[in-house]
Amino acid sequence: MRALVSSVYLFLYAPIALVVLFSFNAGRNASEFTSFSAAWYGKALSNTFLVSALQNSLMIAFTSAALAAVFGTMAALGMERLGPRVRAVFDALFAAAIVVPGVVIGIATLVALVAVFSFVNPALAMIWPGDHPPQLGLGYGSIIAAHGLFSMALVAMIVKARIASLGRDIVEASSDLYATPLTTFRLIVLPQILPSILAGFLLAFTFSFDDFIIAFFVAGSKTTLPIYVFASIRRGVTPEINAIATLVLVASLLLILTARVLMRETKSKSGE
Amino acid sequence: MTKWYRENAPITAEKLADELMRLKRGSVNRRHFLGVTGLGLATAVLARAPGLFNSTAFAEDLGTQMSLATWPNYHDPATFEAFKAATGVAVEVNVFGSNEEMLAKLQAGGTGWDLFVPTNYTISTYAKLGLIDELDLSKLPNYDASTENARFTNEGVIDGKTYAVPKNWGTTGIAVNSAKIKKPVTSWKEFFEVAMAEADGRAMVHDYQLTTIGNALVSLGYSFNSVKPDELAKAEELLIKVKPHLYAINSDYQPSMRATDAWMTMCWTNDGAQLNRDMPEIQFVLGKDGGEIWSDFYAIPKSAANKAAGYALLNYLMTPENAVKEHIANGAPTTDSRVLKLLPADVTSNKIVYPDEAALTPLEFGAAVTLTDPGRAELMARFKSA
Amino acid sequence: MRAQFNTRFNGLTMRAAKNTKRNLVMAALVAPAAAWLCVFLVLPFIAMLVFAFGERAPEGGYQAAFTFAQFANLPTRAAAFWNTLMLAPAGALLCLLVAYPVAYYLAVRANPRYRLILVSLVVVPFWTSLLVRTYAWMYILGSRGIPNLLAMIGIEDVRMLNTPGAVLLGIVYGYLPLMIMPIYVSLEKLDRRLLEASADLGAKPVSSFLGVTLPLSLPGVMTGVALVTILLLGEYLIPQLLGGGKVFFIGNALVDLFLQSRNWPFGSAIAVTLVAVVAVVLMVAMRIAWKVAGTRQVDLV
Repeated sequence: MRALVSSVYLFLYAPIALVVLFSFNAGRNASEFTSFSAAWYGKALSNTFLVSALQNSLMIAFTSAALAAVFGTMAALGMERLGPRVRAVFDALFAAAIVVPGVVIGIATLVALVAVFSFVNPALAMIWPGDHPPQLGLGYGSIIAAHGLFSMALVAMIVKARIASLGRDIVEASSDLYATPLTTFRLIVLPQILPSILAGFLLAFTFSFDDFIIAFFVAGSKTTLPIYVFASIRRGVTPEINAIATLVLVASLLLILTARVLMRETKSKSGE
Repeated sequence: MTKWYRENAPITAEKLADELMRLKRGSVNRRHFLGVTGLGLATAVLARAPGLFNSTAFAEDLGTQMSLATWPNYHDPATFEAFKAATGVAVEVNVFGSNEEMLAKLQAGGTGWDLFVPTNYTISTYAKLGLIDELDLSKLPNYDASTENARFTNEGVIDGKTYAVPKNWGTTGIAVNSAKIKKPVTSWKEFFEVAMAEADGRAMVHDYQLTTIGNALVSLGYSFNSVKPDELAKAEELLIKVKPHLYAINSDYQPSMRATDAWMTMCWTNDGAQLNRDMPEIQFVLGKDGGEIWSDFYAIPKSAANKAAGYALLNYLMTPENAVKEHIANGAPTTDSRVLKLLPADVTSNKIVYPDEAALTPLEFGAAVTLTDPGRAELMARFKSA
Repeated sequence: MRAQFNTRFNGLTMRAAKNTKRNLVMAALVAPAAAWLCVFLVLPFIAMLVFAFGERAPEGGYQAAFTFAQFANLPTRAAAFWNTLMLAPAGALLCLLVAYPVAYYLAVRANPRYRLILVSLVVVPFWTSLLVRTYAWMYILGSRGIPNLLAMIGIEDVRMLNTPGAVLLGIVYGYLPLMIMPIYVSLEKLDRRLLEASADLGAKPVSSFLGVTLPLSLPGVMTGVALVTILLLGEYLIPQLLGGGKVFFIGNALVDLFLQSRNWPFGSAIAVTLVAVVAVVLMVAMRIAWKVAGTRQVDLV
């Protein structure tokens, strides 16, 4: 049993180990390891396209996850009080946003936006006073919107499950004690659902940061990190990509560790 | 924005934004706007002094980056480093596997490319669809139409207007790893036979309707450019029969050939020359029964965001001294006699790069109809999803 | 009387005002999500449906029309649909075979001191790009990787990359954490006293596993299998990178139609069909879950 489980861990980590190892490769080719060198880290960080792809990805992931966390939580709170029919429609739409394959979301968004732009852009040109009317197009906005759709549904589902497990008695007790709804929310509900919101945010961030297929369709001329990596697989991978992947891995490990430590501290403080 | 630009700018960014808002509100007219911001003057100066662009001091702001859409292994990376050193513009290179893929991207809008490399047979369609503009030759002083070989450049000119200027010409042949495959392959007929026998599981075809369908047609004795339904049906039959025996359907075959994962592939001249240079056991042959001869062009998409940089890079690449380095690294034959003169003898005598005229006779240029023919597009998609 | 009426009236208006306020707050809470769902889910889906009944423009793209030609052409992608419908469940089941022992070990056998770390280690690979990790597999399976090692012990010219096997391996690799986690969660809830009771009653380990552990973990198993299968139905990257354009999923056929043949209407028709397939698979999964595990719900989150 142990041996089996160890070999599964080996299976999970062998490719990652290879990526980390090759990020220190002195040679240009990703196919032969020559000698150790950290040179590719310098090259990766001075490659403006790679760095801007990374920045784009971080910005898009953060924005879409933050919007999703806020709107998703709001929806989960509001849905509590909706009539059963409207609620069922909402549930179905959220489920659809999660279940419909990314490739379909990408295509549908592309098709719809291209159709909308083909109406809006000429109209804008008609009413625009200057010579160069703004052209609506694919870009950051469309990626954030498409990522946010999935993420918002995810957050709403997670937070809703948490609210359902909360029980109404504590909220009612609070209002019986003449707390305003806002106070009840701030002091009673929010602390209880905050971990779920954070978990949803993190999942959403990870999803957006790693997504290739949706961005591939709706990114227009913008490049995200996965799009850059995909293009470089076609162009011939240099250890630069491995260096960036390693940095992202280390950063996320640090993030997980900090989160763990912080959580432990709050837990011991609250005496749980 | 470079420091130089900021210091010499006739107007600050804040002021510009402010004036722009006033213009938008309609409180000033366009002439006032152009006058205040100095844009009018700049436009006027540029329009009157085309030669200005020739010198190293660029009159237009080239920005700091641009994007080039091209083919796998098609440029010398040193070229872009040198261009960046000369102009401060970093070039992002994106590679594609087929002209259809480039067209699809441009049709969907918002590619961000400032320069791209379409093949001869596609240019008339790009022009017709309004995806590319006529080139402003005054911005390309280092391009000289008179030194170009007309055989390879004529498709860049439509109704007397130059839409694209040539990069290089080439052929689509067969690369064979002779250490792995003993049977000689000299025609497309033999290519498909060997792919199902000695090279079982080790042969590659392009992810590209023109060459994959075209060469299958040629192997059956039809024209490379056929769009006749019955001939296409026969080609489809052959391709679907071959598919289980293939290693991959991919236009970027160099990594697989170098790793000897693949032993035989459809291959463009430049890749053949590069592979043969590094691994002499990989040979490049042209089909006796036919195949493709082509020329690739540079064109600027209408949607380009940084046209100034696109022109600057294009002019840089048209300079014979720069072009010759590209040709040595990339291994494709030149269309420009100025470059030909500068090339070393071992390149010009390389039969892969400059084959005998007799070997070229059975080859055909791609025809524009194949790019948009729905039958060929759907055949290719069926072949891939079979 | 009059005073009494006044108080009652005031009470009513107050309650009405309170209700309106409540409704307003509720509307404000759900409005952004509703707008988002409408503009970026419902509208795109309608656009896709409209496109699916259109025609390919002569140079590619979309041209308005009303025709069922695109749907009539669906059989030409039967192979890709078939591939997907075979390889997606196969991949999910293979994933389950590898994941179950791991989840079982983590939940039941592992030393509680290290459990948290071991569980985190399952999730960490998710934090490196799937693209980069899949690329690493391209290297491992390519000539310079395992086939090279095999050649050293005398087994020459083994081909691994660009085979259905390579794609299945990539699938198991990419989706393993998604399979392990739900099973682990359901096993973790399992009351260990049940196992002890079962052993005390003289049950052999195998029969207490089959009689107690396995049935109790079924909800997790169902969730994992359904989740992975559904995600696989729209997979593009893994077959693209490890299948060399030869192992084609419906996702690849879709990308191809938009990226190469520029047949937007047909692509839309296939996308609509794919959504229908996903819905059917989901319903089947729920039906099975209901029968097997006694729960109606397959929790995907």
